[in-house]
Amino acid sequence: MNNRIKELRAKAGISQLELAQRVGVRRETIVFLEKGKYNPSLRLAHDVARHFGLPIEEVFLFDDEPGPGRAGEAAGV
Amino acid sequence: MKRTVVMFVISALALAGLALWTLKGHIAGNAGEMIMGAIVLLVVGFAVFLGVSRLRSHRRGELGEDELSKGVMRRASSLAYYISIYLWLFVMYISDKTTLEAHSLVGAGIAGMAVVFVLCWLGVKLFGMKSE
Repeated sequence: MNNRIKELRAKAGISQLELAQRVGVRRETIVFLEKGKYNPSLRLAHDVARHFGLPIEEVFLFDDEPGPGRAGEAAGV
Repeated sequence: MKRTVVMFVISALALAGLALWTLKGHIAGNAGEMIMGAIVLLVVGFAVFLGVSRLRSHRRGELGEDELSKGVMRRASSLAYYISIYLWLFVMYISDKTTLEAHSLVGAGIAGMAVVFVLCWLGVKLFGMKSE
C-alpha cells in the first residue's frame, strides 16, 4: 500500500511532529508511514485522511491502483 | 510514564547485580561468564534506550506508546519466539556433545533468547512491518 501523506503534508505546510500530534501518534509512526514501511490501522488511516479533508482512498492507495482519483472516477464524480 | 520508571529501576538493579558479580570476581578470566555479562549489558542497554526514547517522546508531548510501537513489539516478540524454538533445539542438540552443566546451558539459552529478541526488534525497526 502506498500513500500520499508526505505530499499532502508538504502542501499543508505542517511538520511530521504536528501531524503526529494531531492524529494522536508518535512522530516515528508518521516517518514509517511516509517511507511506506508500515500499513496503518483503519482508525489511523481514517484520522489522517480526515485531517487532510480527503476520503481514505485518496490518501492511501493499494499497489494495484493507478493513482488518486480512481475512486472518484468509479463513482462517476 | 510509570512503565518507563519501572524500566529504569529494573535496569539499575540489573546493572547493580552485574557490578556485584564482577566485584566478587566471578567474571574475571572466565570467557563464558564474560559473554554472559556482555549479554546482560546488551539487554540493559536496550531497556535504557527504550526508556530514553520514551522520555524524549514524553518531553515532546507525544505518546509513550502508539499503534506502531506496540505493533513492533508484538511482531518482534512473535518472531523471537519462533526463532527461539530452533535455538532451544540447538541447545538440546549440543547438550549431548558438550561438557557444560545443565544450568550453564539453560543460562545460555535464556541469554540467547534475549539477544534474539533485540535482533528481531532491530530488524522490524529497520525493515518495517508492511505485511501486517
